[in-house]
Amino acid sequence: MAGKVVPNNGQVGEHVKFDRIRRITGYLVGTTDRFNNAKRAEEKDRVKHSLS
Amino acid sequence: MKGNVVVCPDMIKKRNGMPVPFDVKKIRDAIRKANDAARVEAIAPYQFETLVDAVVEAIPEGKTPNVEQVQDLVEEKLIENGFAKTAKAYILYRAEHTKVRKTEADLVDIYRELTFTSAADADIKRENANIDADTSMGTMLKYGSEGANYFVDNYILPKDIAAAHINGDIHIHDKDFYMLTETCCQIDLIKLFRDGFSTGHGYIRQPRSIASYAALACIAIQANQNEMHGGQSVPNFDYAMAEGVACTFRKEYYDAVQRYFWLEHDCEQALEEDFRQALKDAVPERITMANIDDYEAHFVKWFMECWEMWLKEKPKEQDIRRCHQTSVRIALKETDMATYQAMESLIHNLNTMNSRAGAQVPFSSINYGTCTSPEARMAVRNLLKVTDIGLGNGETAIFPVQIFKVKEGINYNPGEPNYDLFRLAIKVSAKRLFPNFSFIDAPFNLQYYKEGDYNTEIAYMGCRTRVMGNHYDPKQEVTCGRGNLSFTSVNLPRLGIKAHKNIKVFYRELDKQLALCCRQLLHRFEIQKKKTVKNYPFLMGQGIWMGSDALGVHDQVGEILKNGTLSVGFIGLAETLTALTGAHHGESEESRKLGHEIIAHMRDYMDQKSQETGLNFTLLATPAEGLSGRFVRIDRKRFGRIPGVTDREYYTNSFHVPVYYPINAFEKIRIEAPYHALTNAGHISYVELDGDTAKNPEAFEAVIRCMKENGIGYGSVNHPVDRDPVCGYTGVIDEVCPRCKRREGEPVSIERLNELRKKYPDVPVYLDANH
Repeated sequence: MAGKVVPNNGQVGEHVKFDRIRRITGYLVGTTDRFNNAKRAEEKDRVKHSLS
Repeated sequence: MKGNVVVCPDMIKKRNGMPVPFDVKKIRDAIRKANDAARVEAIAPYQFETLVDAVVEAIPEGKTPNVEQVQDLVEEKLIENGFAKTAKAYILYRAEHTKVRKTEADLVDIYRELTFTSAADADIKRENANIDADTSMGTMLKYGSEGANYFVDNYILPKDIAAAHINGDIHIHDKDFYMLTETCCQIDLIKLFRDGFSTGHGYIRQPRSIASYAALACIAIQANQNEMHGGQSVPNFDYAMAEGVACTFRKEYYDAVQRYFWLEHDCEQALEEDFRQALKDAVPERITMANIDDYEAHFVKWFMECWEMWLKEKPKEQDIRRCHQTSVRIALKETDMATYQAMESLIHNLNTMNSRAGAQVPFSSINYGTCTSPEARMAVRNLLKVTDIGLGNGETAIFPVQIFKVKEGINYNPGEPNYDLFRLAIKVSAKRLFPNFSFIDAPFNLQYYKEGDYNTEIAYMGCRTRVMGNHYDPKQEVTCGRGNLSFTSVNLPRLGIKAHKNIKVFYRELDKQLALCCRQLLHRFEIQKKKTVKNYPFLMGQGIWMGSDALGVHDQVGEILKNGTLSVGFIGLAETLTALTGAHHGESEESRKLGHEIIAHMRDYMDQKSQETGLNFTLLATPAEGLSGRFVRIDRKRFGRIPGVTDREYYTNSFHVPVYYPINAFEKIRIEAPYHALTNAGHISYVELDGDTAKNPEAFEAVIRCMKENGIGYGSVNHPVDRDPVCGYTGVIDEVCPRCKRREGEPVSIERLNELRKKYPDVPVYLDANH
């Protein structure tokens, strides 16, 4: 997850990434930054499943 | 032997990929050495030459073979020609060399990488996504882990097992803990709290409020996590918290009654302990949320008999009823608030408290949903409410893994007592990814279920581990006090590749790997058995593990550990099927059948092993994190890029239909469900929904119901949960944040955020000193 967000010169958010919560081997992870290379590739490949 | 001369290839590829001239002498030497080592099995000179020729002949013509392929052929030909002992010696020789190559100078290189490379650049530091290896303690943990792995590989494991792990035939999970402890445990908080417990520095007595129940639940999870290498789970969270809620409710009720008489009758005496004690003594059954009306009758009767002790004038009966009813209302309200706060602190604690020298938060899981008492329902309702709201800035909580136990008759259909909680769970899961859903009605779970006994309700660890059946002690087929001892996974796709579409060969090799895994699990178990209670001051010292309360500090834990499970897991059924038939089980009915046969075969093997040993050998749909990339990396080097098999960065998780394969959600559930019945050590199925579909509770519920109806044991729905920490938006974010319109890394002005806050109160407040 992102660290503390600090304003600078009336602006907020420079270099601040979005949090992207994903499930990996049953656990949630707050950022894909800490995924290993294989899991990153797998996460990228995931397709949505239709319901119809 | 054929009359003509066998043609050797010109070149052979060394392990580093460099082609060098092919030298048949090397094959001769290797076979001779192995034969010498086998001693009793002399190969005659003419047999020897035939053998060498057979190996060379088997090398595909016109291709440059690599060393591993030629070594595979040597093994194959030795076995084919009946030189079993020489083959065994050859395999050992090969194993030994693999190991030496792998470990020489490795440790120093690894330490160097751990020390001088950041996690962003070093895959080795991202093996577990919930450990921050950039911190000191995270790196310290990795030093310890890599050092332990080196020690175990070189000095502890039997040579062939070490080699099988290193060359990627199998994967021994948590090998760094080989000499130390077990995987996980399902903690019975009710039992633990009832007797009070000690975490090492002082005794903690039975908690008396929901706040303490929740706080101590976290402490118990943390303490246990520090003694085991896997996660910790509470199988009966709602039942346990109900007792805490009941304590708080009673306390609030008595407080309110006392204050009522103080305020309404100016009776200061009522505030004293004597009055409270008299009230407690007078009414035999303690007040709960379920006996409020009965209690009223007792209470009124008692007070009208003894009013003179406390009041100057006789009160009206009506007034005493009002006292009770008002007190109940106050107590319910206060308890609800206290429960909310307790659940809030539980979630905050479990996301911030540290374990393992500060390197990670405890891997915690809680199971709930079946207890129908009003107290339990209050706990679960508040837990879900807190989860829905999120952490301090509205972030999604990563821990604990929450698992809602679905059961017909209790929470599955409209009209059932906890159906409202099931609906709430769906709503929360659609926003926060938790809770997941487990299904007690799946036949392989239902067989253990006894109504009203939480110990017989299936529970899951966050990662998917499941411990229920018990070969060792069939009278104890329960969840609490048990867990997995260790697990090891088979590289199934490699067996698929090496079988060259020959199913018979596949099964033969699979059995060999299963035998190897079981032998290794037992080898590890022998080490685990010799531990004593003092090695686990909390897990065993406080009686959490089944049977440990009967042991002394210096007693070995071997016998009681037998209640745990030894599991063999697998990865990449999809790639295995593709290697064997050309199509995975998402694509072809035939593969579906074969897939089921393969996994059923593995399960039979484990059952048989349980029969043989009296231990709990179980089959696991491995939750592979580091492993997902490891096997395929090695296999691609060895076998090249095989479409649908080794052409991605990862092998597909357990029996899943590949994540990249487009398929209907219900179809995916139907295909994966039969594997849940076979994998008794644990399983999970996922459905990936887009953000909008997930937000539709009917669609979400349809998916969960489909899981239940098809016999899934444990499942969950994945959908993108993104958050912009700058403006606080939670939902799906593609390139641009839908709320503040910034792109990743771009700034927004404070003015704009102030403007947005008028519409969205959850936009964080920023104060800029220089502006």
